[in-house]
Parts: sequence; structure tokens; C-alpha cells
Amino acid sequence: MSQLIFLKGLMLGIALACILPILLPPGSRWRVPGGIVLGLAAGLGIAASVPSGYLSYFIGFMTMASLYAILSLGLNTQWGYTGHLNFGVAGFFAVGAFTSALFTIEAPTGLAAQYTQVLFGLEMPFLVGVLAAAVVSALVAFVVAVPVLRLRLDFLAIATIGVAEIIRLIFQNERWLANGPQPLRGIPQPGRCLFESRHCEWLPESLAWLIEPLGTRDYTAFYLMVVAAFLALIYVVLERTCRSPWGRMLRAVRDEESSAAMNGKNVTFARVQAFVVGAVVMGIAGALYAHYTVAIDYSHFHALFGTFLVWIMLMLGGSGNHRGAILGAILVWGVWAGTAFLANALEPLLALIHEDLPGRAQYIRWLLVSLLLAAVVLFRPQGLLPEEMRVSNHLRGDGR
Amino acid sequence: MAVSETRKPGEGLPADERRRGERLRAFIRTRGFLVGTFVVILIAMYVAGLIAGASAQRLLALTAWGLMLGGIIALGSIGLSLVYGVLKFPNFSHGALVTLGAYVAYTVVPLLPQGEALRPLSFGYEFLVALVVAMPVVGAVAVAIDRLVYRRLRNTGAHLVLFAMASLAMAFFVRSMIYLIWGPDFHFYYPGRANPALYLPFGMRVRADQLFILVLAFVLVAAVYVLLEWTRMGKAMRATADNPHLAQIRGINTERVISWTWMLGGGLAAAGGIMYGLSSQLRPEMGFWLLLPMFAATIMGGIGNPYGALSAALIIGIAHQVSTSFLDPTYGPAVAFVLMVLTLLIRPQGLLGRTEG
Amino acid sequence: MPLLKAEGVTAGYGDMEILHEVDLEVEAGEIVSLIGPNGAGKSTLMKTIFGLLHPKSGSITYRDKPIHGRKPHEIVTLGLCYVPQVANVFVTLTVEENLDMGAYLLDEREIPPRRERVYELFPRLRERRRQRAGKMSGGERQMVAMGSALMLEPDLLLLDEPSAGLSPKLVDEIFDNIRRINAAGLAVLMVEQNARKSLQMANRGYVLANGENRYDGTGQELLADPDVARLYLGG
Repeated sequence: MSQLIFLKGLMLGIALACILPILLPPGSRWRVPGGIVLGLAAGLGIAASVPSGYLSYFIGFMTMASLYAILSLGLNTQWGYTGHLNFGVAGFFAVGAFTSALFTIEAPTGLAAQYTQVLFGLEMPFLVGVLAAAVVSALVAFVVAVPVLRLRLDFLAIATIGVAEIIRLIFQNERWLANGPQPLRGIPQPGRCLFESRHCEWLPESLAWLIEPLGTRDYTAFYLMVVAAFLALIYVVLERTCRSPWGRMLRAVRDEESSAAMNGKNVTFARVQAFVVGAVVMGIAGALYAHYTVAIDYSHFHALFGTFLVWIMLMLGGSGNHRGAILGAILVWGVWAGTAFLANALEPLLALIHEDLPGRAQYIRWLLVSLLLAAVVLFRPQGLLPEEMRVSNHLRGDGR
Repeated sequence: MAVSETRKPGEGLPADERRRGERLRAFIRTRGFLVGTFVVILIAMYVAGLIAGASAQRLLALTAWGLMLGGIIALGSIGLSLVYGVLKFPNFSHGALVTLGAYVAYTVVPLLPQGEALRPLSFGYEFLVALVVAMPVVGAVAVAIDRLVYRRLRNTGAHLVLFAMASLAMAFFVRSMIYLIWGPDFHFYYPGRANPALYLPFGMRVRADQLFILVLAFVLVAAVYVLLEWTRMGKAMRATADNPHLAQIRGINTERVISWTWMLGGGLAAAGGIMYGLSSQLRPEMGFWLLLPMFAATIMGGIGNPYGALSAALIIGIAHQVSTSFLDPTYGPAVAFVLMVLTLLIRPQGLLGRTEG
Repeated sequence: MPLLKAEGVTAGYGDMEILHEVDLEVEAGEIVSLIGPNGAGKSTLMKTIFGLLHPKSGSITYRDKPIHGRKPHEIVTLGLCYVPQVANVFVTLTVEENLDMGAYLLDEREIPPRRERVYELFPRLRERRRQRAGKMSGGERQMVAMGSALMLEPDLLLLDEPSAGLSPKLVDEIFDNIRRINAAGLAVLMVEQNARKSLQMANRGYVLANGENRYDGTGQELLADPDVARLYLGG
């Protein structure tokens, strides 16, 4: 095994070691150590046996799946645990992405400033950007929550669609804010310097040989590691909070709102808190996405990608179950990626029907995922992994 | 039915102060206060327009265009409101039905012998035929979706949330079908055909097509009124919306009523889409753009109330157009959204919504 | 031949069984009163007869035709009508529209004469025919509810607690109305918490407790039975 393959395998292995322990069934003593060992072994094994083209595809796939898993966790906090019908996930996703981008990019000067306008570019480190994304998402969620969370469930769904749409319109129109309809480019990536010929300043000279063979093309594996670490961290934090008295109160509020109110608990405040926490998680996902793609614009936060897919993931995985949310994200992203191949494979067939159809093959993917959601709603509304402690009132067959 | 008083805000305050608070709250919930709020907002918008440098003449023209836009929104939202009222869930696929209507008509028009344009309108008889054909076609699609999806959910007694989720799935399903069949490009019913503006008093310039849209909206609302008030099916729809359980006990086949509701809702959505396509162009996302204004009109007017939907749609249309004098025009849906949220906070049952029941 | 016959009916909601092998008969033209403590399953039996719940076992026949497992809108065509205890009028519809909905199954031309007959029975409804039912008092609503059920001119009327929540004066009025309806030849099966009054009026009565038949007999027999009086008629 060459040093390069070993390094790539190690990074992939660490990422998988973050994700696998979550997916293994809980309860066993061996869940965490077993998952870590399995993940490391799988990472090294895959890196050693798979051609590099497929390997980078797999890394890209896992990165997006993990990003969606974080979004799905955020939605689960709002919907699965509290019963907020948020159909505007894309809005908070966008807020996080643009915030982190603005905090970390370099403000353009001179000629570049004519092409790229930004409110500010603070050149802050990556983690500060993520933190800022979390804070700003929290603020936006709080402002939205105060008037809107008092509404009936169906009105909340309509209102959140509106919020997401307005957020998208702002990023589309306001050139001064984040370069309006044009993409905002040059979002820095954390640890990128390790992969470029001039090594990072903070890296001791004596260790430089360790990462010598890595090139810029190998950066994606490192970033996958970052995203997977965030996913694991967020999972642990959410799992802890949802099992805490606070989480139990949220479920009580969701299931028997009136009796929780009679217990003297501050129902409204708890509902707002849950909404804000979910939005913070979505904002972090947005930040991680921005630093992954390097260039973002408003069209990335379309309701299909930002909201619809996330809902399918959570519904398929199992509302009210964090493991299910992550599993659903990986499965649905797999379906989504798989339909791309299917659409390609179908192109000759489509050409037989009509000459324009092959060019529209990508919309078959929309068609298939919408059918997937319909199928989940009709045939398995509780999802693959049912709620761990209590089945949501909204998903039971006889719930009225 | 008595209003339940589970919570009493302001408990512990002196009695008269509490009473004053309650009276204030009750006043805020009145229809008059809501109407007053809308009037104040519209006036503020005109003032903002003047401050931003728009002439009075331009504001008048924007108001006229707002009425036309309101007509389009109204066509879409009446159907949405009826379905919401009878089936009790927000149908997020209504926007896709609007788009579908526009595209079905787009397919029908070239199949017909092309007549002369009915001057001063930009279209000929074949367009009216296409309108009449597309309405039941989209209605039938809506009924088919109901049979395949929503009826199954009804039979299991599923919660509102699952209906909403299923309608979201159907929205993307119909939209992807539209993309597959007609492609992502823009289309026009009559590419390149001019529709010169008519000169009206006070220097207003309005296209004849726009007047046609407004008239059609009023005609269809009147037709829906007649249907709901005077026909048996209409009364059965109101009865089913009011109390589906009792409707069954009275011998009403509620499944049939629901099918007719979808037929009507889909047909009206198609009319809205066709008129929207006539006034601008056909795009696969056009219905999604209208979704927020349509929901706003439905909620502002009072769910299940078509006349409420019409009046709210006209307010939204005017607010939307007048706001362009000081705001970027793409913010239109945001204006509708703000009006909707205000309604929900002030008087959730809307302008003409009923208080009892 | 009994008009309505229920034999060994077991029914409930989901897994919860409320009725256990209940038997009941109603002959043409008689008033049958169903009494018993709260939770005895009286309303459940009414709903099961009317197809709102489906029995797990047992049979329900109307004029010797099995009706269990049929939907309400099918059962109503056979000539029996049901007035539920709550939410028994369309609150957003006018009185007249409520009556029209009662005759939804009929040809449009048959409606006006029947409406007239209902107005004769309840003259107050004629005065208020353009008013929305939601704006009416409890007693008036009960009239609207009964009136709409009578629009089909059924042979059997199922009444679920027609006097619930009404003042004593109105209760007498409602009972008067039931007597008048019955005098016109209609059989009535009613659930009443005003047990004594309803038994005085009824030809026969059934006492239900814990979802099982406890006593049955003519109204007078049940009133005279010391056990029934002590346990179910409040001494």
C-alpha cells in the first residue's frame, strides 16, 4: 500500500468511523468501538481496492449524504420531536451557507469588486464561519418563530414555505448582500493548505513528509472527514438533549399539548427553542455546504434540493428517530444519485419516444423521488426506523 | 357552540384592566379591524410609491394592473379554497395544477384551426376552445390523483400532515411530468403577436387581454357562487365542508362530492394558469410562483369561501403591483406573504370566514 | 316480523370492544327506549346500527335485509334515519338548506311538499328558515336535526339523546314532538338519559350495562321493576 493510498484510506476511514457507530443498532456495548474499527478498516480497504475515479465519486457521495444527514437531523428536531411542520428547510440552509461564506471570504478589491459585491468579507477562520452561520440561523429562526409558531399546523407549513421563498428572493435580488443573482465565489476551505504545494504555516516542518504525496485532488477526502465529524458531533449533542428532561418536555408538548401546559411548563418557549435548535443545525449544514462547493448562489437553495429531499429522507428514515434521519439521508441520497445513472441509461430509450426527451432525462429523477415520497406516505408513514420512545401522534394511522 | 376558555391570559391583573385587555383583543379580531389594517397598508404603499418618485398616474396604472393580477390569483385561489374547505388540508400541488392547465391549453391551441384574433384581444376562438378543453382535463387529473393518493389516506383516517406531505409529493410529480413533456423552455400562446394597450381615461393603459382576464375571473366566481348556493351538488359540497360525518348520515355520498370538488378546483386552477400564461409566458415554475399568493388569498378570504378568495386576491394583486413602485418586482410573493401572516395573527378565519362551528 | 333486528352484536373502536353480543328488536310503529348508565354502549350501538361502526360479529337486519357492513349513505336509502347527539346540524347552512340536505337522495321535485310537512310539525323552523343553523338555540337545533332526518320520511328514526343539555321545558317539548312523530306511524329507537320520562312514553325498553343486555320489557314493566328503578332510574 503506497503512502498516498494509505493517507486517503485513513481520511476516508476516519469519516466512516464517525458515521458507522451511529448507524449500528444501539444497545450493544460494541456499538462504538465496533463501528470505529469497522469504519477504519472499510476506509482503508476501499481506498486500496477501488480505482481512484470511483473512490472520489464515493467520497463526493458520502460528503453530500452527510450534509443531508445533518439537515435531516435539524428537521427531526423540529418535526420528529416537536411537531413543527417546517416546509422551509431550504431557507435556513441558505442563511447558514451565505453567512459562513461572508464571514470567511476575502472582500474583493479593485477590478474584482466590480464583478463581486458583498456586504462584507471578514476572512475569518472556517470554524468562526460555521459558528456565525449557527448564530444567524438562530436569529432568523427566532424572528420567524415568534409570530408563526402560534399558528395551526397547516398554516405553519404554508408560512414556512413563504419564509424560505423570501429568503431565496433576498439572496437572488440583493447584489450588495452576497453578489445577488451571480454566484458568490472563492469561499475558502479549511485545511486546504495541507494539500497545496506550499504547506500550512502551523504544520511543523518535520511532519511535512507525512502528507507529502497529497495533492489538491485529494482534498475532498479531508473535507468528508470534517463533515462526518460534524455529523457525529451534532448527533451526539441532539441525542443527549432529546433524552434530557428538555427533550422529554418537548415530546410531552407535542403529544398532549394541553396537559403539558397544565403542568406549568412554558409551552410556547419550549416550542420556539426546538424550532431554533433545528434551524441552527440546518444553518451549520448550510455552512458546511458552502465550504464544500466553494461557489454558491440562490439557485442552490431550490425547494426541491433544500426542502423536499430532506423531508423524504426524514419520512423514509423515521420521524422522531435520529438514527433513522441519518439512515434516510444516506438511502435517499443514494436513490437520488442512482437515478442519475438510470436517467443516463434510459436516454437511448427516451430518444425513441421523442427527440427532445433525452435532454430532459434529469427530470425523471424528480419524478422518481416524488413517487418515493408518495409511497412512504401511503405505505410506511412511520418510516424504516420507528420512533424510539413513542410513536408520533401525527403518523399513527388513526391519529385525528 | 361555546368558545372554550382553557387559558385566561392576564389572570391576576385588576378586573377592569383585564376587561379592557379582553375588549381590545376582541376588537382586534373583528372583521372591521382586519379590513382597516389592509386599507392602512395599501395607503402606506401608495405613499411609499410617491416618496420613491412614482407619479400619481403611474400609481393609478399599477392599481389597474393589480386588479388584473388579482383576477389571475383569484382564479387559482378559488379552487384552492374549495379543496381546502372540503378536504381540510392545504394542497401544495395546486400550483402544479395551475401550470398544467396552461400547458394543456398550449398543446390544444395549435391542434385547432387558427382563426383571426378577436381584436382588440390578442387571441382567437381557438384559444377559448382550448380554455374550455383544458379545464376539465386538469380537473380529471386532480380527480385521478385523489383516487390514487388522497382517498387511500382518507380510508386509513390519516392525519392532515400526511395529506400535506402527499400533496407536496404530487406537486413535484406533476411538475416533473410538465418538464418531461414540455421541457424547461419558455413558451407563448401566440409568439410575436402584439396586444396593444387600450387608452382609458386618466391616461391609463391597459391591454384588452388583461380586461378579459378580470372579467373571466368575475364570471367564474359568479358561476361558483351559483353552483354553491343553488345547486344540490354545491349545497352538498358546503355540507361536506361543514360536517363530513353528518353529510354521510344524511345520505350524501361524500366521495362523490369530493371528486366534484377536485374537478371544480382543478378546472379553476387550469383557468388561472391559462390566464397567467396569456398575460406573461408559460414556464414550468409559473404555478409555484403563484402558490404563495394563492395561499395568501385563500387564508385572507377565509378557507372554503370563494368570494373571500376573490376579494383577498384583488387586494393582493393591487398590493403586489403598487409595491413595485418602491420594491424590486420579484418581491411580489413576499408582499402576499406579509398580508397573509398579518391575517393569521389578527383574524385567522380571514375576511369572510365564519366564526361559529 | 320486526323492523329492525340486532342479534349478538359485538363492536367497538379499534381493539377496544364496547358491545358484547347485544340483542335488540324494534317493531314497526313502536317507540323503543334504550337506557343504561354512562359508558354502557348505548351510543355505540346506535352508531353500529347505522353503519358508522362495523360489528366484529353478530348481525343487524332491517326488514330482514342484512345492513351490517354497509355504509351510512347506503343504509339511509332503506328507510332509517339517524340523529346524532352532537354536531347534528350543518352550522354554516341555513335551516332550509339543512332540511334539503336531509332529502339529498330524493328527486328535487319531492322536496318542497316534504319540507312543508316538516314545517307543519315544527312551525318555528318555518319562521327561521333563512337563518343559519349555527346561530340557533339548542332546542331549535334539535328541531332542525330531527326535521332533516324526517325529510326522507323514514320508517325508523334513531335518536341519540335528543334532550341532552336542554332545559326541562324544552325537554317536554322534544318529547311531545317525538310522540307526534310516532303517532304518524314512525318507529323510534331512542337513547335517553332522561330514563324515567322516556320509559313512560316508550312501548318497550332495553337496559344496557357494560355493553351487555341487562333487562328488557315493556316501558311499564321496566318502570315497575324495583331493580331497574333502584339501579337505573335513580331510586
